[in-house]
Amino acid sequence: MPRTLWTTPEAVVLERRIGDWDEDVLVLAIETSCDETSAAVVKGGREILSNVIVSQVDLHGEYGGIVPEIASRAHVEALTPAIGEALRGSDLTFWDIDAIAATLGPGLIGSLLVGVAEAKSIAAVLQVPFVGVNHLEGHLYSNLLDDHNAEFPAVALIISGGHTMLVHVKGHGNYEVMGGTIDDAAGEAFDKVARFLGLDYPGGPEIDRLSLLGDPTAIGFPRALMFEGDFDVSYSGLKTAVINYVRRAEARGEIVSIEDIAASFQQAVVDVQVAKTIAATKAAGVHRVFLCGGVAANSGLRQGLAEACQKDGFSLHVPPMELCTDNAAMIGACGTAMLRRGKTSGLNASPDPNLPLV
Amino acid sequence: MLVLGIETSTPQASVAIGSEQGVIASAMVSRGASYNEFLLPAIRFCLDEAGLDYRNLGGVAVSLGPGLFTGMRVGVATAKALAQALSVPICGMPSLDLVAYEVRYSSKTICVALDARRGEVFTAFYRPSPGGIQRMSPYGIEKPEQLAIGLGSRIEDVLLVGNGALLYREEFEDLGSVVELGTMSHAFPHADALVELTVPRMFREDFDSLYDLKPMYLRHSAKRIEWERIRGSRSA
Repeated sequence: MPRTLWTTPEAVVLERRIGDWDEDVLVLAIETSCDETSAAVVKGGREILSNVIVSQVDLHGEYGGIVPEIASRAHVEALTPAIGEALRGSDLTFWDIDAIAATLGPGLIGSLLVGVAEAKSIAAVLQVPFVGVNHLEGHLYSNLLDDHNAEFPAVALIISGGHTMLVHVKGHGNYEVMGGTIDDAAGEAFDKVARFLGLDYPGGPEIDRLSLLGDPTAIGFPRALMFEGDFDVSYSGLKTAVINYVRRAEARGEIVSIEDIAASFQQAVVDVQVAKTIAATKAAGVHRVFLCGGVAANSGLRQGLAEACQKDGFSLHVPPMELCTDNAAMIGACGTAMLRRGKTSGLNASPDPNLPLV
Repeated sequence: MLVLGIETSTPQASVAIGSEQGVIASAMVSRGASYNEFLLPAIRFCLDEAGLDYRNLGGVAVSLGPGLFTGMRVGVATAKALAQALSVPICGMPSLDLVAYEVRYSSKTICVALDARRGEVFTAFYRPSPGGIQRMSPYGIEKPEQLAIGLGSRIEDVLLVGNGALLYREEFEDLGSVVELGTMSHAFPHADALVELTVPRMFREDFDSLYDLKPMYLRHSAKRIEWERIRGSRSA
């Protein structure tokens, strides 16, 4: 059985501000797009009654990355208990639930299939609507769940191991992708650099930890596309620059500081990503920035973005950690909004590993 | 007691609803990997044609494989979620048992060989016993030529069934009259046999644990096999 099971049974009660939403709609949500099995109950689209997340990080650690077949197998084992725990944590039974939401994509097809199959089955038994949710759209809603000052419109930076994109969130279901990575996702670059440096999996948090001990100005790694004027980023070259730096130093017999490499690498990512996010926010003409996805946990990015937003008078919203990483609560929040727009899926719906945001 | 059976471990997927009086509705399709699109509409069809609703079901039965990974997972995930939402017991059955059960009237030893892809077959041996079958070997995975050698060393007559047996039929043709090859209609596990086998288990309350039930893979992920190979060659 996968490890680290935690839950938030206590409801975070938020003031409702959007008038015509059905006050009490209860959505059971399921998220299995990658390597976290999660089930949640969300009330009225903004109140988390429970949010159970089962991480598989221990299962993939020895392979240094996510193994899709192992992830799919773990979802089959973990999802049923997670759903049971989510209902118990919210003091509800299946028959109280008004709709079922599940991630339809993007993600690993084998992982998505497990969540979609279970969600549709429960919806069929309960005779309630099934809502297939886009995982990326779900991330946009993670900000609405904990912060009652967070509202659309905004510019959202979705930054994780699988995605890096800037989205102009104009309203519910109304998004424009302004830019994104043209090669590696930011989290992927963190993990690849960490693996090259021989750090433990997952490497992102390790680099963040080491960078606090190093000098971010020690090595001038490239800031690709920083002054290009669009909102795209590229991390493949940066990763190669780190590798070349270490190899050259080794060839010369020099001793390198892993802390300085980590700090300088992280600073390069933060500089580019903050500059692009601020530029995108100005171009979109909004005053709110949402930070979401697993890399939102990075202390350098949080700090860099917070300082830049303050300078320009933007309000920055960063959800708590358990809502930054993949979780079902955000899928429930997004699913509720879709339900209200009548966007439900049929019981023959299939997951799409490459489902686009727009 | 009405039991819903789900079998999706081979390219031939099926669902059936039945009780101690036999199967009253079933649906089957051979179209490969779209189990996820087939299952719930097929169950709905069976329920409607039988004049039933989900709430009439007293138990869920599911084939655990061995078989195709994606099919097994969709089947087991669907069965678990249905049982969980309905609060009814669940029973899992190996796919190989289902194939053997359908040819239980033969007096010969039964060997089931299901296609495991990558040049291998899932196998098990059975002998007919009063009212059913008795398994005489562990569930295994092997190359068809290995299975042929094993069959060739047997003294008793063997009925060899399953899509794996048909796929690699040339391996078994030299074995002469000792091995009789089953036809296409007995090549796949079916949900009807699953329901028939599970109803007595449901009455005996010989249920499986909902939280612990998982597919029978008999094979590690390709990544793990590769990993162990690398590690093995390093330590050697």
